[in-house]
Amino acid sequence: MNVDARKYVLIAFVILVGIIYSFRLFYMQVVDDSWALRAQQIAEKRREITPPRGVIYDRDGKKIVTNKTYYNLMVVESNMKDFDTVAFAKLIGWTPAQVTNRFKEIREGEGVYKNKRTGKTTPNYQKFKPYPFLKELTLEEVMHIAPRLEEFSGFYEDATSMRSYPFANAANIVGYLSEVNQEEIDKDKFYRPGNNIGRAGLERYYEKELRGRKGIKYIVTSALNNAIEPYAGGKFDTTALQGDALHLGVDIELQAYGEKLLKNKRGCIVAIEPETGEILALVSSPTYDPNLLIGKRNVSKYYGLMAKDESKPLFPRPLAAEYPPGSTFKLINSLIGLQEGVITKNSGFACDKSVVGCHNHASAGNLADAIKHSCNPYFYAVTRRIIQQKEKKKLTEDAEIGLNLWAKYMHSFGLGKKLETDITGIRPGLIPDALYYDKWYGHYNWAFSTIRSISIGQGEVMLTPLQIANIGAIIANKGWYITPHFVKSIGKNGPLERFTKKNSTMVDTKHFEIIIEGMRRVVYESGGTGKRALLKDIVICGKTGTVQNPHGEDHSVFLAFAPMDKPKIAIAVFIENAKGGGGLWAAPTASLMIEKYINGKVTETEREETILNAKFSY
Amino acid sequence: MRQGQTLLANFDWILFGIYLVFLAMGLATVYSTAYNEDHPNIYDFSQKYGKQLIWISISLFLGLIVFLIESDVYRKFCIPIYLFTLILLVIVLFMPAVNGARAWLGIGSLGIQPAEFSKIGAALLLAHFISNVNVKQQTINTVLTANAIILVPMVLILLQPDAGTFVVFTSFLFVMYREGITYDPLVLRLVNAIPGVRFKHTWVGSHFIPILFIIVFLSLITLLMSNESITFQIAPDTPVNGIWIIILSLAIFAVLGYFVLRFLSAKRDRNRVLIIILIGFLLTAGWSTIVNFGFKGLADHQKDRIELFLGLKEDPDGEDYNRNRAMAAVGSGGMLGKGYQNASVSSVESNHVPESETDFIFCPFAEEWGFIGSLALIFLYLFLLIRIIIIAERQRATFNRVYAYAVAMIFFYHFAINIGMNIGFAPVIGIPLPFFSYGGSSLMSFSIMLFILLKLDSQRRDILQ
Repeated sequence: MNVDARKYVLIAFVILVGIIYSFRLFYMQVVDDSWALRAQQIAEKRREITPPRGVIYDRDGKKIVTNKTYYNLMVVESNMKDFDTVAFAKLIGWTPAQVTNRFKEIREGEGVYKNKRTGKTTPNYQKFKPYPFLKELTLEEVMHIAPRLEEFSGFYEDATSMRSYPFANAANIVGYLSEVNQEEIDKDKFYRPGNNIGRAGLERYYEKELRGRKGIKYIVTSALNNAIEPYAGGKFDTTALQGDALHLGVDIELQAYGEKLLKNKRGCIVAIEPETGEILALVSSPTYDPNLLIGKRNVSKYYGLMAKDESKPLFPRPLAAEYPPGSTFKLINSLIGLQEGVITKNSGFACDKSVVGCHNHASAGNLADAIKHSCNPYFYAVTRRIIQQKEKKKLTEDAEIGLNLWAKYMHSFGLGKKLETDITGIRPGLIPDALYYDKWYGHYNWAFSTIRSISIGQGEVMLTPLQIANIGAIIANKGWYITPHFVKSIGKNGPLERFTKKNSTMVDTKHFEIIIEGMRRVVYESGGTGKRALLKDIVICGKTGTVQNPHGEDHSVFLAFAPMDKPKIAIAVFIENAKGGGGLWAAPTASLMIEKYINGKVTETEREETILNAKFSY
Repeated sequence: MRQGQTLLANFDWILFGIYLVFLAMGLATVYSTAYNEDHPNIYDFSQKYGKQLIWISISLFLGLIVFLIESDVYRKFCIPIYLFTLILLVIVLFMPAVNGARAWLGIGSLGIQPAEFSKIGAALLLAHFISNVNVKQQTINTVLTANAIILVPMVLILLQPDAGTFVVFTSFLFVMYREGITYDPLVLRLVNAIPGVRFKHTWVGSHFIPILFIIVFLSLITLLMSNESITFQIAPDTPVNGIWIIILSLAIFAVLGYFVLRFLSAKRDRNRVLIIILIGFLLTAGWSTIVNFGFKGLADHQKDRIELFLGLKEDPDGEDYNRNRAMAAVGSGGMLGKGYQNASVSSVESNHVPESETDFIFCPFAEEWGFIGSLALIFLYLFLLIRIIIIAERQRATFNRVYAYAVAMIFFYHFAINIGMNIGFAPVIGIPLPFFSYGGSSLMSFSIMLFILLKLDSQRRDILQ
């Protein structure tokens, strides 16, 4: 080969390399997406901005759940220079040893990373990544630290939004937040590790409305994970949108007052505005300060304690505790009797203590007086007429028809089924029907005499305080109710649609007059069981209940609404194991609540004092 | 006066033009890559772009001086120049190490790297040596002396150690090949030692260097591609392994090459071309297969060692590595790029690609200008290289031609290895991209090299030798 021709070999090499590189570049840059994806992984971070949750307002527009900015004191170890442990410890009020320990805790707390291929383990802690040194500091705390922070390079404060409860009340209504678990993250793409989710109460029920819309920022980050600039000038970013505000029907001051009245007692108060079905107050006692469950630190500290507490502060009694309704139940039995035509308002039954026990009072000659005296034998007779309508000859077959009819009436009052209130954890109570007793006694093996306790709200009948209060609302409305609910408006959109519909009961309006008159007599006539509920300027209609229970003293119950002619509030008070009947404790408590709500202030100070001082051991 | 006129009349303005274009592109890329918001001015000498501007000025000034020196000086003083660069290479071994290598003479940013300048010394001496040798009657001594000229600085450079420049010195082998200085005498000595054998030439000995080059290049690409796979849209579930990509590419090149050569060669040679192409394809494909499966068959720790050498792994514990980052940056450029000053992966500030303003400067360029920009840059380099080869071929003096080829091959090596590093075709050995990368030593030495060539070329008619 001619030596001069070798120049072509060299030229061929140069051109060949050029061509190969061009093809390779075309493949890498144009054909194959994987390098672009890799670059995104490396340098472009998608940062989510979690918006503040929706604020919750009470009836009068007071903020009862709001957001407060807290601060984490972050540290990036690789940025630390000449760290003075002693001075820093002094600044945050720790001992130097605690500071050193905290560093150790952070380093070890991140766990270890195991390389699958080599099997080597390395700590997961990375020097150039920020970690919270102190978590969830308040503004006051951070104000003390922040000005001197520049002396300690590597440290900075980072704001996070958390819940705050200015009134420290209504914990059982609003619920609380805690960190999402893996299952929730898998189920809903919205959540990322470290995000919060509503765990109970309205926070849980209205989670989707309250959480808002996340904002997304695409940023270019450096190898040290610092943000450098918005990606593509922020073209693809979306702004975070705060969650909807919830406007509640709850009157926070009434709620707070109710919680105060029930201090040192177990029990509940439920107050409803009859016309709208809005829940005015829903007190569960004992309760807790919702501020105790803010933030990871607090939840892990207090939740366990509260969950273990024997008095069950986390248990929403008004929604989930099922009690026998006691004598308050007589009102419904009367209404059914009237509607079925088995009694009239003038029916009289002797107070025959041989069938069922009663206290000493004159026999009731009419329905209103029977309600006033809460005469057990009377309502025994009424209910027997409802159950045994002599449709069939055989007593047991007749009882089955009667009981099922009775149960149907009960369901129309929202009893024995879950009310569709906008909160989780609601229980249905129990209204027994024929099937239920068949299981206990056998088919056609029972009759009214077997199940007679239902006539006075004892035995198998179970209601939640919310249902009892709703009975008050039904009577006040004379035959209908709107499902009791908390939220009267989501943002500006009004309540959920189902809270605008009237639910009718199977009892006609005309039959309610006499019941209401009876309830007035309970409070205002001599011999009435609820005279301690009497208010001078507001006419209260009520009904006492004294619920026997095998676990100790009777429960004291009172169901009422007021004012009589234009009802604004229906209320149920339930005090567990109170020494004395419904008239003694629950009635005055209800009257105080009514006065507080309607007049805005309480004049019956002596009555108030008595209730506040009462303490029932449990 | 007359001499000055011929000087300018014979001046290669095209080469000088390409040089200036490269300087401008390089400076713009350094400015974009090392951009500092607090110092937006390109004349800010506290920043890398400001410093690069100084280096460019110094280089142009040095170029002017070089150009004013009589070209005879380079011929006459090539031995002292060569020895001077060797002395510098020795002195540098006693300097404190920077980043694990004793490569810097002087302090801080004012330091120079003698290795960069030793290429000039070696190029001049090799040119001088070859121009005084009768190639047709070369002996083992000729071959060994020529090799020694490049081997001495290579050994000193390896002691620093500077693998990149070490490899670049092998580019002189191509120059020797072009001039006919081959390993044939050595091969003949071996072959003819066998009784009864008497060769005058051996094909292997004559073409030892390009064969070696092909073997090394092919092996490297095979190894670097062995872990890659491509999925085609027509068969999304069957990934095609690196080895198949290479064999497929070789086949495509063979077919294309056949048609090109068929077109170029005479009718009677066409069968010969087909046979040569066929044998070439079988040999290269076979070699790639052997390398690929040989590598896969190695024990894990041996594999690790090779991967470590190739820069496939920065350290055994690291899951991520420079090459991967650099390739991500290049690959993310897309067809049209992210736009000037919009490199998100390879800017100095983001620091995902280390040395992105020096050895990895192709990264930000490819990321910002995309495939179109990268292609333009490659064509510009091909244009530069071919222009230098054309200049080399038009020299009357052997000295000039050998020197010109040395320049061309050094630039070719830098181009091929540097860009290869960014696209996963070359091991990560730190060598700069000529006229592009930030850094004084490389820019000055490349400029001096180029201006010596321009000077020699402009006086090519004065020399009758």
